[in-house]
Amino acid sequence: MADIDTIELVKDIDVDKYKYGFTTEIESELAPKGLNKDIVAFISKKKGEPEWMLEWRLEAYRRWLQVDEPTWAKVKHPKIDFQDLHYYAAPKSMSGPKSLDEVDPELLKTYEKLGIPLREREVLAGVQGSKVAVDAVFDSISVVTTFKEELAKAGVIFCSISEAIREHPELVKKYLGSVVPQGDNFYAALNSAVFSDGSFVYVPPNTRCPMELSTYFRINEKKTGQFERTLIIADKGAYVSYLEGCTAPTRDENQLHAAVVELIALEDAEIKYSTVQNWYPGDKEGKGGVYNFVTKRGDCRGRNAKISWTQVETGSAITWKYPSCILRGDNSRGEFYSIAISNGRQQVDSGTKMIHLGKNTSSRIVSKGIAAGRSDNTYRGLVSAHRKAINARNFTQCDSLLIGDKCGAHTVPYIEAKTLSAHFEHEATTSKISDDQMFYCQSRGLSQEEAVTLIVNGFVRDVLQQLPMEFMAETQKLIGISLEGSVG
Amino acid sequence: MNVAVNKTPAELAYDGMLLPHPRLEDWKWTNLRTLIDRPYPPRIAVTALPRDVERLLKRDPLAMIAHARIVFVNGLFDKAASALPAGGAVKVTQQLAPLDNTDEPVLEMNRAFAGEGVHIEITSNIDAPVEIVHVATDAEARTIATRHRITIADGASATVLEIHLGEGDYLTNSVIDVALGAGAKLDRVKLEIESRDAIHLAHARITLGRDAVLRDFTLTSGARVNRQNATVNFAGEKADAKIAGSYLLSGKQHADTRLVIDHQVPKCTSREIFKCVMDEKARGIFQGKVIVQRDAQKTDGKQSSHGLLLSETAEFDAKPELEIYADDVVCGHGATSGDIDHNHLFYLRSRGIPEPEAKSMLIAAFVGEAFDTISHDDVREQLTRFAETWLVDHKETVR
Repeated sequence: MADIDTIELVKDIDVDKYKYGFTTEIESELAPKGLNKDIVAFISKKKGEPEWMLEWRLEAYRRWLQVDEPTWAKVKHPKIDFQDLHYYAAPKSMSGPKSLDEVDPELLKTYEKLGIPLREREVLAGVQGSKVAVDAVFDSISVVTTFKEELAKAGVIFCSISEAIREHPELVKKYLGSVVPQGDNFYAALNSAVFSDGSFVYVPPNTRCPMELSTYFRINEKKTGQFERTLIIADKGAYVSYLEGCTAPTRDENQLHAAVVELIALEDAEIKYSTVQNWYPGDKEGKGGVYNFVTKRGDCRGRNAKISWTQVETGSAITWKYPSCILRGDNSRGEFYSIAISNGRQQVDSGTKMIHLGKNTSSRIVSKGIAAGRSDNTYRGLVSAHRKAINARNFTQCDSLLIGDKCGAHTVPYIEAKTLSAHFEHEATTSKISDDQMFYCQSRGLSQEEAVTLIVNGFVRDVLQQLPMEFMAETQKLIGISLEGSVG
Repeated sequence: MNVAVNKTPAELAYDGMLLPHPRLEDWKWTNLRTLIDRPYPPRIAVTALPRDVERLLKRDPLAMIAHARIVFVNGLFDKAASALPAGGAVKVTQQLAPLDNTDEPVLEMNRAFAGEGVHIEITSNIDAPVEIVHVATDAEARTIATRHRITIADGASATVLEIHLGEGDYLTNSVIDVALGAGAKLDRVKLEIESRDAIHLAHARITLGRDAVLRDFTLTSGARVNRQNATVNFAGEKADAKIAGSYLLSGKQHADTRLVIDHQVPKCTSREIFKCVMDEKARGIFQGKVIVQRDAQKTDGKQSSHGLLLSETAEFDAKPELEIYADDVVCGHGATSGDIDHNHLFYLRSRGIPEPEAKSMLIAAFVGEAFDTISHDDVREQLTRFAETWLVDHKETVR
């Protein structure tokens, strides 16, 4: 009985109820459709970039022409016409706001409508005590960065990437593309050629970043691609925790989002990167929605470095995303915690790569996939140990929960051990909410709705615990919204 | 997806047939274009001396157990060396329907070059094992392709042993189709102890009827390059399959198993257990995939693959995949890779057991779980002995 009810509940999950699906009427400046050298030069010029940056972009564009679009992921979509997109869209009134007064009131309303996904409304409204520094990226442009001064006191640089290219060229030159090179893959090359903005973080040696840093992305304009680039560098002994959130308006056509995130952790440094991705997933029949094709990679470059990825993926029509760690430094550590919820006709192909190169490196992967509706949810991951990665350790756990009989859950792990002292453990399970679990909860007086919520929250608990406080509340709410609909 | 490239000498010897390369997902870790580094022309007739055949047959550790024996020498049926069953419940014919067109390289190669093969039909319960032995004698490099079919009638049961051995440089291509009727039971044991210069390519296609029970075990220890594909299709409800395998590899051996379990109907159970031991520069690969189709509710599928590396330069790669479209299922997989537990070794050494013996004991214990799939006691015992002495044996041959 319980399973039938559960199926019923999930049928009711209405993806049309996408809460963040509003458009903001802001005049924006658009580049002409299509992609060619001139567009790349146009973007570079718009951003007032130096010559070397333009060269870098053009090199990426040349690489992009040479690489093929990847087809190995377990996702299906009509061929993307890359010449039918705007590669640059900027809210017109936004030319480097100094204070909130300069922010377009329409934009502020946008944040209001968003509820409190990242508490950035309060941040933007200047509420004291909410210690999250936010860099908001609207379409292609970084509109506001808060708490800059306080961060500067600690020596932390937190600004948009375009500003970093102008103000800190030595850092950008040194690190940009050093983890994800221009020609790394099709979408990374595309991003490198046309990226319009993104966040830049540099934490100086032996500094603990005094607050959580956060970026908020939103695609607003029609027929645009959003290509943001994030570069985070934690110098020796530094620590930084970074949050990222995304939403998009409801649109009939698909929007493309191809971001690149590069993390660099030097000796004894630690970077914690958390994402709540809630792009518009498309309607019930799979019309519209964001294509989220993202390359995220972290490089533990020094001894004892640590990089931790935590992601909550609830949105996007298609997700293609593999946050990875290169464990180059001895004793370095990589972590990946993921919750991927797919519903409607969403397709998720996500996972991680842990590449063990240094001695005594360790990694941990915990992935929880929940598939409902007619969605497909795939975990795809690689754990590899190089010949010299003595005493590499990995533990991987991939659990999938299926709700309904029209969805699919898949696991595609790759394990490559090239040395005998590498100890790898991998386990995966697939199941549904069992009748016993439901019976147990209900016999103790919980309603069906409460029981499902309890069980699903228990299922993802390992990952939830890894999220910073600000995000944990938001995530529970997000999961709650889906479940609410499902039981309603 | 084949790229336009110059054909390799091996490909030219195959009338220009293209060999699989790592850009094909299933061949990611086994690049036959480079591993088959010399031509193995097909359809080359080789005369084998009876005494060579006799000498090679003695290497078969299961020889004394088999009741009926079907011998293939260099891909051709050898009536003199065979001991055919006296009729009754076992029927052996040489009639085989031609292979269908596929895009699977091993099957394609077999379709183009296969010589002879047998169709074994089992119609009731057979206690004594039936053995198919493939012997290759030392001669010029060539391709030896065989194809067999085993049919187990409804309610019948049997043990079928399949042995591949030989000496010299050759390439074996072996395709076997197995069909189990309703309630049928088959114990299939394959032993691959080919010449260390040989290449072994195999493909097994198994279909299970309602309530059928399959116990399948493959021991891979020979050949410099080994690639074994197997597909198991559940066509009837409540069937039960356990597929196990073990690698005992050393030197520069390369072994790759690609196993696809396809649950098409409800209420079936599948278990896969692979225990792979790699020494020196050997490389072991396991690629397993469990598919649970939309209708296959109440499926119970578990898969585990474990690598044991004995040297710094050995390698284990695994890709245990799940592809699940039904919700009321219990599926899982586990994969591990590591070396011998030093505490275990220390324990044995402290009790006076010399290191090679202690290691051998631990290796035998490690692969033991896979060997337990074999129901036939004598067969299991013989193969366990093979595993126990393997480490010492191969170290000696090297020296």
